[in-house]
Amino acid sequence: MNRSLSVLSLAIIAVLCAGTLYLAQQVLASRIGAEQRLIESRNLLDMLPTDSYDNQPLDQPLALKGVVLANSTLLGGYRANLGGKPAAIILLSRVTGYEGAIDLLLVIDSQGRLLGVKTLKQGETPGLGARIATHPNPWLAGFIGKSRGDPGDSGWALKKDQGQFDQLAGATITSRAVISATHDALRYFDEHQPQLIGSAP
Amino acid sequence: MNKTSTLQNALMLAPLIGASDTLLTALSLALLCLLVIAVYGLKMRLLRAWLSAPWQLPAAMLLAATLTSLAALATQAWALELHQHLGLYIGLIALQCVVLECNGFFTETRLLDRLRLCALFVSLMIALGVLREVLGHGSISWHLPWLAADGSVRLAILAPGGFILLGLLLAARQAWLGRSVTP
Repeated sequence: MNRSLSVLSLAIIAVLCAGTLYLAQQVLASRIGAEQRLIESRNLLDMLPTDSYDNQPLDQPLALKGVVLANSTLLGGYRANLGGKPAAIILLSRVTGYEGAIDLLLVIDSQGRLLGVKTLKQGETPGLGARIATHPNPWLAGFIGKSRGDPGDSGWALKKDQGQFDQLAGATITSRAVISATHDALRYFDEHQPQLIGSAP
Repeated sequence: MNKTSTLQNALMLAPLIGASDTLLTALSLALLCLLVIAVYGLKMRLLRAWLSAPWQLPAAMLLAATLTSLAALATQAWALELHQHLGLYIGLIALQCVVLECNGFFTETRLLDRLRLCALFVSLMIALGVLREVLGHGSISWHLPWLAADGSVRLAILAPGGFILLGLLLAARQAWLGRSVTP
């Protein structure tokens, strides 16, 4: 078997491999993009009951990026409408937990009550703080229906900080961060209600 | 056990520990591994006639990388969530192929030995997947609530838990073999 035959076949293999990959990438790119968008929107919208809105909330982003609150930072927001009226606001919030940033998704209805909280991204201690990432989550579900006025500003804290809420066992700092971010978001909604839901397009 | 087969087995450890935290990921990665390695073996068998020895390694690397990328693209297109869980373990299949190639897995061993190694890998993946699913994701708590206070043994889904379970499985196998040899 001579050398040039080997080189030639290697070159052919290389060209074939590159060509196949290029073709596959071209064919599948749009499909992968669509899948990504689908997962992303499902991720952001699954706290909203499906019959509670009739627009495409992700097409109506609110200009909230980088708004700094007392303990957290807003990353963005979306408005869900039903019959042309604002039904709910979705807020994305980032707060610093025990290990690093925690990204939360908070859904607030037009009365300022919390419809749901979900963790989008976290790097907390596995088995302790990382339990905020499980979904559905009984601890986070405890906030549903609460608002800024119920239990009131002083009640939005852990029981060991004279507040109203239990903490996740072994994850005081994570729990505190989540509660303060939730409180921040509700307070922001309360203070900016006209801008957030008043100017429905 | 010689040095290269240690490398081959050590590489197998990465998916065994990293991707077996649920039964679904364990099963799908095991099947994906089998598929890529089988296709790779068939193609290399055809190509080996056209390449002299020093040129086989680059060809093997090209082929392994291409097949793995195709597998990764396919999982991205049809099972993106699975791809997000499996992440880099799919990429490691290429490395596994090349190491198997260097080891002479496709040329020097008998078909039966090859099948045995594959079957061992898949059954270990499934066993670990089932164990970690049952222990770590709460299925056990319905029956044995005293064992885990909040419903599941969290350790089982972490990497150290994976190592411990794999060690226990190996110990059980040793004990079983020892018993059957000396009844």
